[in-house]
Amino acid sequence: MDAFRKTPCITAILIVSVILGSAAFSAWANETGLPPDMVKITGQEDFVYVWTLGEEGIGDEQDKLVAVGVNPDSPHYGQVVHSVSVGGRNEAHHMGFTFDRRYLWCATLDTSKIFVFDIHSDPARPRLVKTISDFVAQSGGVVGPHTIMPMKDRMLITGLSNNRDHGGRSALVEYTADGKYVATYWMPTDDNLQGAAKTGKYADGYNYDVRAMPRLDVMFTSSFTGWSNYMMDFGKMLKDEQAMKRFGNTFVVWRLSERKPLKIFDIPGAPLEIRCAINPAHDFAFTIAALTSKIWLVYRDKQGEWQAKEVADIGDPATVPLPPAFTISSDDRLLWATAFLEGKVRAFDISDPFHPSQVYEKQIGSQVNMVSSSWDSKRLYFTSSLLSEWDKKGSENEQFIKSFEWDGSELKERFVIDFTRAKLGRPHEMKFGAYALYKP
Amino acid sequence: MNQIRKSLKTFVRIFALCGLSAILVTLITGYAAGLEVTQGPGDNRTGYESADYESRSISLLQRTGKAADLLHVLQSPPLGLPPVPVPRDNPVTQAKVQLGRKLFFDRRLSLNETMSCGMCHIPEQGFTNNELATSVGIEGRTVRRNAPTIYNVAYFSNIFHDGRETRLEYQVWQPMLAFNEMANPSIGYVVEKIRRLPDYTRLFETAFGGRGPGIETIGMAIAAYERTLVSGNSPFDHWHFGKDAAALSESAKLGFRLFRGKAGCAACHTIGDETALFTDDAFHNTGLGWQASVGTDPSEVQVQLAPGIKVPVPRNVINSVGERPPSDLGRYEVTQDPTDRWRYKTPVLRNVALTAPYMHNGAFGTLREVVEFYNRGGVTNPLLDPLIRPLGLTKSEMEHIVAFLESLTGDNVETLVRDAFAAPIGDRR
Repeated sequence: MDAFRKTPCITAILIVSVILGSAAFSAWANETGLPPDMVKITGQEDFVYVWTLGEEGIGDEQDKLVAVGVNPDSPHYGQVVHSVSVGGRNEAHHMGFTFDRRYLWCATLDTSKIFVFDIHSDPARPRLVKTISDFVAQSGGVVGPHTIMPMKDRMLITGLSNNRDHGGRSALVEYTADGKYVATYWMPTDDNLQGAAKTGKYADGYNYDVRAMPRLDVMFTSSFTGWSNYMMDFGKMLKDEQAMKRFGNTFVVWRLSERKPLKIFDIPGAPLEIRCAINPAHDFAFTIAALTSKIWLVYRDKQGEWQAKEVADIGDPATVPLPPAFTISSDDRLLWATAFLEGKVRAFDISDPFHPSQVYEKQIGSQVNMVSSSWDSKRLYFTSSLLSEWDKKGSENEQFIKSFEWDGSELKERFVIDFTRAKLGRPHEMKFGAYALYKP
Repeated sequence: MNQIRKSLKTFVRIFALCGLSAILVTLITGYAAGLEVTQGPGDNRTGYESADYESRSISLLQRTGKAADLLHVLQSPPLGLPPVPVPRDNPVTQAKVQLGRKLFFDRRLSLNETMSCGMCHIPEQGFTNNELATSVGIEGRTVRRNAPTIYNVAYFSNIFHDGRETRLEYQVWQPMLAFNEMANPSIGYVVEKIRRLPDYTRLFETAFGGRGPGIETIGMAIAAYERTLVSGNSPFDHWHFGKDAAALSESAKLGFRLFRGKAGCAACHTIGDETALFTDDAFHNTGLGWQASVGTDPSEVQVQLAPGIKVPVPRNVINSVGERPPSDLGRYEVTQDPTDRWRYKTPVLRNVALTAPYMHNGAFGTLREVVEFYNRGGVTNPLLDPLIRPLGLTKSEMEHIVAFLESLTGDNVETLVRDAFAAPIGDRR
């Protein structure tokens, strides 16, 4: 353990919070997405925390938070340094830091439990300190907590489903940072738009990711599908005509400070992750529709109105590459998008956000899901698992975390951990940790 | 002055008429909205295949409940249905029904507290699941068959698509213990879990004269609730049994004649002199099961990606992300008689307009597709039921049959569904 503590770490910069009215701000899935007013790792990260799904027949079969050493100066570089099993297979999926980055909330899509880890006392050894197990009852029936967006003293959580029909209608749920329920905000539906403008044909009430641009007092949400689909065997679902009709086709712009929906855009084919531009002069965000394999730009026009526009394809949409995750570089110039079924990552030049152009492509594995980037865009990490029942079967069911270095023209593999061989399970979302964050 | 009075009177009349119209519009739209909430998924995806599709999603908050006198429903069978058979050892009481309803919608009754009976038998979706061809159980595990409706389940002693269970009191335990449904490890586990839940203690004692949760009382309570879901008094019943000529459209009347005549549907979906259950409670091979077991899979599957966007996905891609579909041999699995392979129980047709998708494997999304399937003569196979043969129905004749089937919706669906909405959904607190 001392070896870790002595390892030279990164510079951590704490930028003074700029609060816009009651609106705070959010933290994103990887380091480049962190907002300017939150602690972030601008140099070398020490750990990648991997929220890992338990897999039947593998190890203890439970979901677990796995800490991987990723500092090349550490003797534990490229190794699992710690693992905490939480009990059960809960469909581990996404995580979110608290605003002070001392705790990591790990959400689950099946049992809807949220496991809270202390990551500041010893960053190498996350410690489970609290389990929120009454999320469904507290929220009034929201199932499947997904994105956890920290605000100053609050946590805003997207739900993917509900306890009435296990379909896709759901809500945003607000908690205090110490884990107390505050409020539920149901997504706008056709019969109750809640004052939002329905700009197209859909107001399905579905939900997935949440991101915010506090300086503009806006928040964005996207839409996926309900419990029945995201928990179901993928092959079975593709053959089920009824199930395939139950995907989200909407993207909602909200007033962040009021949690009020303003505009609903049609983005057909399950727009999943959202990434906001980092440069304060850039008033736009991207999302990618997973089923239709299209990059969409959501931007503010000259009149200050939010608009949505389809700007690029990922691969050949007719072959259903299924892009589930992406990240953008800290200079808003590169967008990295994975394609699960192809096992590939593609880089797009987004210098002109209206005309992304593919500049690079690499095969990562037989399947690939999450991608996380360091702030300096030099390191990219990939994990393999999409959802427990959607992952490939048989020999193509590779489960890994892979670390790559980006030299500006080529991704070079640095290390791989085989999560099946290590008896860990299915690795999903990644968050970065560093000792320097907690130095006095 | 008179002119002013006249104008005022006219104004008042117009105003009154407008008010009346507004009330009528409100009542009509309110009624329609009520039907949308109680008779179909709130997330209505009708027409999703087309690029013109427009969502008609309803807020979950509209799913408001109103408790009904279910005992009265059971004791006063509606027009078209016989008296409800109630076993002597489990008389239905108000207390049992209340308890059974609570258990039915309690997600805590599964191993990881995510599944209740009501997650597959969704009230506004015809007490089945309109959104899935075949069910999905705990942890997303595959269930082989379509969730059957539990409307009018009180009348049958062959329960499940393969008729493997004989009484509702016993049937209750199968999904609770099935590895791929609610996955409780044992009967004792369920009993002890309920025993520890304080919100149940008094309910069991009241319903069963001081007895607590147990293998018998849990089954009896849920069965009591299910027995009350009796639904008849449909437009068809008014016309056929009530002799109300105006109760049915001409198309539906023609459809009924075809149903009993040229199409031969009534051979299995039987109709009595005074009542009609629309099932012979027997098992038939239509060829669908045979096709799934031994037929050849197409090389690609048409997959709907978004409204109006469908693409062919190669079979090898589907297989790469899909488990091998579980085998399903139908009634044979109960009798071990080879002639029973791929036979499934004739489903009741009451409320059939609400219970899509159809067939034991949810193969068809609409009634029209079902009628077209039978018009083709099912799927030829060595064990095809001799009653199933090409029917030679014209398009308009098939439309008439669909119109008839749509006339079988009971008049108390709103009542039963709102009552179900009134039940608490059990979640961990």
